[in-house]
Amino acid sequence: MSLRLVRIDDRLIHGQVVAGWLRALGARRIVIVDDATARDEFLRDVLTLAAPSDVPVEVLNIADGAIRCIELAASPEPVFVLARSPRTVLGLRQAGVPIEVVDLGGMGSGPGRKRLHKTISISPDELAELRELERLGTRVEIQIVADDRPIPFRSLDSTH
Amino acid sequence: MGFGQAALIALGYYLANSPWLFGLAYYTLFRPLVAGLLVGLILGHPAEGTLIGAAINVPYLGFISAGGSYPSDVAFAGWVGTTIALAGGLNPAAAIAVAIPLGLLGTLVFYGRMSVSAVFAHWADDRAEKADINGVAFMNVVPGQILLFVISFVPVFLLALNGPGFVKDAIDRLPLWFSDGLVIAGGILPAIGIALTMRFIFRGSAIPYFFIGFILFTFSGGSMSLVVIAAIGVALAYLHLTFTGGLAPKSTEAAAEIATAPVLMTSDETAPAGRHLTRGDVLRSWITWSFFSHANYNYERLQGTGFAHAMTPIIRKLYTTPDEIRAALKRHLVFFNTEPNFGNVIHGAVIALEEQRANGAPIDDDAINSVKSGLMGPISGIGDTLSQSTIAPILLALGIGIAGGTATGSSIPNFAPGSTGNVLGPIIYVALVSVIIVGIGYVAWMQGYLRGRAFVTDLLRSGTIDRVLTGAGVLGNLVLGALAAKVVTLYLAPTVSIYGAQLNIQASVLDPIFPGVLALGLVLITFWLLRRVSPLWILAGMLTFSIIAAFPFFGPGPQNPNDYSYQACTSSLLHKYAPCGVPPAPSAAPQASPSPAASTAP
Repeated sequence: MSLRLVRIDDRLIHGQVVAGWLRALGARRIVIVDDATARDEFLRDVLTLAAPSDVPVEVLNIADGAIRCIELAASPEPVFVLARSPRTVLGLRQAGVPIEVVDLGGMGSGPGRKRLHKTISISPDELAELRELERLGTRVEIQIVADDRPIPFRSLDSTH
Repeated sequence: MGFGQAALIALGYYLANSPWLFGLAYYTLFRPLVAGLLVGLILGHPAEGTLIGAAINVPYLGFISAGGSYPSDVAFAGWVGTTIALAGGLNPAAAIAVAIPLGLLGTLVFYGRMSVSAVFAHWADDRAEKADINGVAFMNVVPGQILLFVISFVPVFLLALNGPGFVKDAIDRLPLWFSDGLVIAGGILPAIGIALTMRFIFRGSAIPYFFIGFILFTFSGGSMSLVVIAAIGVALAYLHLTFTGGLAPKSTEAAAEIATAPVLMTSDETAPAGRHLTRGDVLRSWITWSFFSHANYNYERLQGTGFAHAMTPIIRKLYTTPDEIRAALKRHLVFFNTEPNFGNVIHGAVIALEEQRANGAPIDDDAINSVKSGLMGPISGIGDTLSQSTIAPILLALGIGIAGGTATGSSIPNFAPGSTGNVLGPIIYVALVSVIIVGIGYVAWMQGYLRGRAFVTDLLRSGTIDRVLTGAGVLGNLVLGALAAKVVTLYLAPTVSIYGAQLNIQASVLDPIFPGVLALGLVLITFWLLRRVSPLWILAGMLTFSIIAAFPFFGPGPQNPNDYSYQACTSSLLHKYAPCGVPPAPSAAPQASPSPAASTAP
């Protein structure tokens, strides 16, 4: 068994995530993996409270997140895993978490970041990390909302 | 269509996406229900326009745009669709089918603007580098609005001038059964809008209320006003909350700590000689945001320049040296996106942080950025759920229900000729939605400022939002169920022969047991399909199916586009059944046409 989908979104839980993806995945549990967020009590609290009241949210750092994700990947319960950056997902993957697909859902622009597609911008480091993920056998796709058709990262990467 | 009328319509479409209506354009002019009334006024037929707008709005009942996604240009469908239908003499049900491709076409305007406007964000960066506060404000509004005006006004102006004639010609050339298929589609496509909205509110203990709403409406013979149903809904919501004990406050491990965390506010102790913001400064900032949050919406920063613009009254008051001003402008020009009303708690909290920082508190850029970037996601999750997926669809359902025709579901489709639109529908909708949305925005902004981050956790933990959503879910399901009964129209024409008697399955078997069961079944199947198939495929499928189903396989086809009497004798799959040889009751098929240009007999 492996995690069906890990979404990279720098806003973590927001509109479409709550509304669309939980439904699309049939997931009733959210796991957020992010070192900085896991350290921040206030953000942890807000994220927990922002999800629908019947959906438990766990906010973990990469080390704890990897252990938890391996555990969850082995169980049949669908789970929605969210991360802020490709580095986190690569960290999970390298720690042995089986991940079928990484979805690039929201990566804002900034200095040194290049726009890949609509609201998805990436830095050279992230590009390398995503390529590494693909090399490790995890598919990378862009799918901003659950109703969108997924675009393979590879098809956009070649034009870079 | 005169040049002046076409120009007014094009201007209306521009305004629907513009910042000039206190940020309310998205909840008002953007919606076909409202566009229909205004196009109707411009063309001199407000009631007919309202009816067409209401019809076009139904498939978009569950429309939301979040995180820069934009499944369809609802405003384009509304403004251009109503214009074409009204001036081209199309009947309102067929207008639904014509408007949907227009909605898809219109997304080009949005994508064009979202891509190009990123450039203006860089121009704003240049102004920030020069510590030019007014320059940043200018770049957030002027270039983006000039671009938006050009790419909105021109296509709609040309379509308004030429579209009606073109579509009328096309429809005249098509066989009657084909345009009749569009009318059938007009009865079926609303199921998509209902089902999309159900995705937001049709769940948990609120589900039964949808069926109650549907049954209330059908068993009243379609005569029960949606206002009455909404009033019942409010009462039921109150009872539901009372008897389910409301919702227990959600608890987290850190509850106690956060709740007692000091409220972030400047006080005279921390800033004896400080630079203080007045209530006026905070209000000015809120007003700026309300107007211009989306003035330069673009793929790169989304509301980034809007946020910086909203901070200009604050920056001007708190910071004096060019270095401070430059740093503050750049700090707030980065990527930002949240729900622009409830999300105002973030702005309020950030203003409080800026005030403390200006007074020497050790708050660095990272602290402010982490409040913005950490909160914008979760808060927009709640905000979108509240405003876009609950308040707007419920009020729209109510408005459409009031606007959408006086004909009862039992005789002819509600958006067929002969129904009369009620202009009170859009007017009541606009009044309610404006007060609620502005109210949420104001309270969130002020409380965010006065109480900072504690307000966010307190509010979430108190369970108030969950209670509001639960109550709204009860009301929403009741109204939505009634609206489904009112606008989804599905007839089954074929008959079966039982012991020599010709029996129509719908008229003789299904409806006597459960009136409207076919329409209800269609809605539930659509809801089920939406979990598996994209709404666009369902739309395309329904449209194709309706047109095929209108083909007169079983007998002579229709003789007159607005004449429902041919349905007196079964000719195709999805027509209203009546035994052959029996003339339809006069009241059931009025010959009135929706506009003076309509009714062209072959």
